[in-house]
Amino acid sequence: MSFDWGIIWQHRAELADGVAMTVLLAVATMLIAISGGIVLALMRLSPLRPVSAASACFVEFFRNTPLILLVYWAFYVMPVAIGVEFSAFATGLAALSLNVSAYNAETFRAGIVSIRRGQSEAALALGMSRWQVMREVVLPQAVRRVLPVLASTWVSLFKDTSLVSVIGVSELAYVSLQIRSQTFRILEMLTAMAVIYWLLGYPQAKLVDWIHRRYGVSE
Amino acid sequence: MNEAVVLDYRDVRKNFGSFVALNGVSIRVHKGEVVCLIGPSGSGKSTLLRCTNGLEKLDGGEISLDGVVLPRSETGMRDVRRRMGMVFQSFELFPHRTVIANVMMGPVTVLRLSRDEARQRAEVLLEKVGLSEKAESHPASLSGGQQQRVAIARALAMQPEVMLFDEPTSALDPETVGEVLNVMKRLADEGMTMVVVTHEMSFARRVANRVVLFERGAIVEEGPPAQIFDAPTVARTRDFLGHLGWHG
Ligand SMILES: Nc1ncnc2c1ncn2[C@@H]1O[C@H](COP(=O)(O)OP(=O)(O)OP(=O)(O)O)[C@@H](O)[C@H]1O
Ligand SMILES: [Mg+2]
Repeated sequence: MSFDWGIIWQHRAELADGVAMTVLLAVATMLIAISGGIVLALMRLSPLRPVSAASACFVEFFRNTPLILLVYWAFYVMPVAIGVEFSAFATGLAALSLNVSAYNAETFRAGIVSIRRGQSEAALALGMSRWQVMREVVLPQAVRRVLPVLASTWVSLFKDTSLVSVIGVSELAYVSLQIRSQTFRILEMLTAMAVIYWLLGYPQAKLVDWIHRRYGVSE
Repeated sequence: MNEAVVLDYRDVRKNFGSFVALNGVSIRVHKGEVVCLIGPSGSGKSTLLRCTNGLEKLDGGEISLDGVVLPRSETGMRDVRRRMGMVFQSFELFPHRTVIANVMMGPVTVLRLSRDEARQRAEVLLEKVGLSEKAESHPASLSGGQQQRVAIARALAMQPEVMLFDEPTSALDPETVGEVLNVMKRLADEGMTMVVVTHEMSFARRVANRVVLFERGAIVEEGPPAQIFDAPTVARTRDFLGHLGWHG
């Protein structure tokens, strides 16, 4: 058996595009899921029962469904249900965002309830509205407190983006697997894929460790 | 006293479930007056302050500010709260903001002052509580006494008509109690109307115009400090003060 590692170099342009797509997908998902998570967490903490229940259902559904199933479901069911065809990218982004939003919602909720009541009372005593109290006093502290958890979620998300390769989003995993099936260089491409994911992921994991140390024991 | 009545408590009642925390309290606080609330733990002193600015809802009676009965609605209370400053036992400075940003927070978000105006106002107040050099520090790096002085400046930044203090020195190391009491004394001398819950009897004696002794949600005795501390008319008052080691 002979190896042809040159195959990786030959396909460097496609692999670079795959990396770019992976990064784009992860960043876009996280941006949506941070806003989504905050909205869901605020809904969950709302005194209005229906609002809080709607958020709880959403979170529990998307958090406890396997992501791969969600990806297929978004690909096959969403177009039928809504009647619009989305690109593979938009579909993958939707599936990832639903899942990560649900995780972030729980993260933010825990962060918000961990801020002691005296803080909101001090802000209320200044004459702030409930919304101002949330925006100026509670959320900024809650976000800081959950930063380590968000960072861990990010690292998982970065790897989980590979799941959307099953619906043909041309991110790193999909591109690698495409090259593999065109060239039959299975071992080389799988190795290249592993090395690239590792090279991208390892510094992030180190950064997360640093964030844990920096913000983990907070106040 | 013929000054105008600022705060008027009329038969104020508050229950927590079946527990009666305030059982018909009536007090009048006049402009420029310093009223100290004293009494054993759990007697309802904090509850009265919290009812005053709507952090707790009344179950009976009413409170008026400048002759206007306080509204029950949350939005109505907001306008009232900006006219009252509140200082908490545990300071409750906002740890994610610098000292000066803490003081600017009310004027900027609630009064909609420009940042420049708010900063000027905050600088004057930090000067007043002797903490100008800590303006850019974070609260966590300050001593308890310094934090409480910032909290007082933060409340004053709203230019309130009345200041409510809930045991402002109870969480402090003994050596920093004095600096906070001095700031409060100066505030009183400037004519600020103040309601102060405190266990600092010497402060009450020196600064208060009137002392009110609470027990089990009701007033046991009220009067000028000379009466309460030197010639209490109610036996229970003598017991309470004697228990604290106060002997006139
Ligand atoms: N949110 C609440 N729910 C139930 N009970 C409460 C609540 N807040 C206060 N209480 C009770 O009401 C009573 C009066 O409390 P309050 O805090 O007003 O006492 P206090 O006079 O300020 O005492 P201390 O000197 O200990 O601060 C206490 O017995 C307390 O347990
Ligand atoms: Mg109290």
